[in-house]
Amino acid sequence: MTEVLMPESSSAPSSRREQLATTFEGYRSELDADNERRERLIILSRSTTQLSKKLIFHLHRGATLTSLEARSKNLQEARNKVAEIKINFGKIYDEIRGGINVESYWRWARQVSPGLEEYIEAISFLYYLEHASLIPLSEIQSELSDPTTGQPYVVVTPEDYVLGMSDLTGELMRYATNSLSTGDHEIPLAVCDFVRTVKTYFDGISPAMLYKLSKKQEETTRSLEKIEKVCYALRLRLVEYADRPEILRQMAKRALEDARDREGEGDKPA
Amino acid sequence: MTDSSDRIKSVDDALTSVIGLLETESTLKKTIRESLEPIDDLHRSALAELNKLHSSSYTSHAAICSRTLEIISTAGPHWNNVASLVPEGEYYRYQFALGPPMRNLTTLVALAHFLLHDSLISSTDTAIAMGLPTTLQLTAEDYLQGVIGMVNELPRLSINSVTAQNFTLPTKIASFVNDIFASYSLLNLRNDALRRKFDSLKYDLKRCEDVVYDLTLRGLTRPAV
Repeated sequence: MTEVLMPESSSAPSSRREQLATTFEGYRSELDADNERRERLIILSRSTTQLSKKLIFHLHRGATLTSLEARSKNLQEARNKVAEIKINFGKIYDEIRGGINVESYWRWARQVSPGLEEYIEAISFLYYLEHASLIPLSEIQSELSDPTTGQPYVVVTPEDYVLGMSDLTGELMRYATNSLSTGDHEIPLAVCDFVRTVKTYFDGISPAMLYKLSKKQEETTRSLEKIEKVCYALRLRLVEYADRPEILRQMAKRALEDARDREGEGDKPA
Repeated sequence: MTDSSDRIKSVDDALTSVIGLLETESTLKKTIRESLEPIDDLHRSALAELNKLHSSSYTSHAAICSRTLEIISTAGPHWNNVASLVPEGEYYRYQFALGPPMRNLTTLVALAHFLLHDSLISSTDTAIAMGLPTTLQLTAEDYLQGVIGMVNELPRLSINSVTAQNFTLPTKIASFVNDIFASYSLLNLRNDALRRKFDSLKYDLKRCEDVVYDLTLRGLTRPAV
């Protein structure tokens, strides 16, 4: 069709088309390579998420063990699982470094950060169980760096950290309620203090700074209310039945069930 | 009780420092966004200049395109300013803010270049035309989206040039859009923004060809001037 319409300039477009084809084949290989790398990183990120979730379940199982020895064995096993996840981050690093330029981490941060957030949640839970405190960002970062060169595998941003901590409050709520059945009354009280502090700080972060946090803050508020209810019941019973741990346990359990009932049907099970 | 207050102190420290980092980062993002405003202004005046194509005679097209490119070429110092704000090696961290103005300028540069030279400007030359320093790169993705932005403008230009009794330009446009469509068809696109933009190309191509059809039917495809 173009041949008929443009007899005077028919040679120009055909050479133009060939030239464009060469250029676009270049773009094609660039885009293809990017897409493949993106897929591989998503898979690695998902596997990090899975391993981190398993670690969290493992920690919950251990946290309710009564014997101190069994609990420290559980934490030891948890450290082995952390080592396994770190290998995954090493793979992510290799994958990113295979990119064209050094600044590639930021190019792929969006693919990597879901797994990273889940890992932060898991490692901060483990840290809490070990130290009853909050793991500093710098410690997470140094653990996710090459042990010899100090080169970070991934960059732990303050956003990743805050979002991971926000999820931690949910795990701690579960930990606090589960600990009722072991009869350790100090745990819910300490967790309550801790979660309240974290929540207060996060309330100060404006949605303009970190939009994703506002949704998570609602969840944190609910978790905190549950913990507070448990603590309230616990405190009353402690005053009343300090010398009879059997009854205390029973009552705490009932308070917990109460809290669960009031959650309503729409909520996820605690 | 002291144990608990120690614990809260360490929590305080960790959170205070993180919130400090968040604030620094959020300020930087804001500064970078503000530094892009003069470029947006430039884009608007270049766009206003280039829009004259639709209402001017064919003879002034070249002058309009040259003026547009001139306006865009003054973006250099503004880009340098932007580049000085982006920490080294963190270009992609702020790409969400840098990409859109680059795409917009690509659209204008490519359109002016096409009317002047009847060819598609390369990504490297586009970056030079908009005065990008080497520390800021025009990614393939942004370039390819910007070029489609140009194609989206061409059916309208084709129609308006018929109104202005310029019967050569529609043929030139249709042939160009055809070549571009063929080129984009070589890419393996995934389901993203570029893919959706590519899907719009075939409608533009059809509209451009329809104009040529109308002209052919009336024997108007010979150069009029």
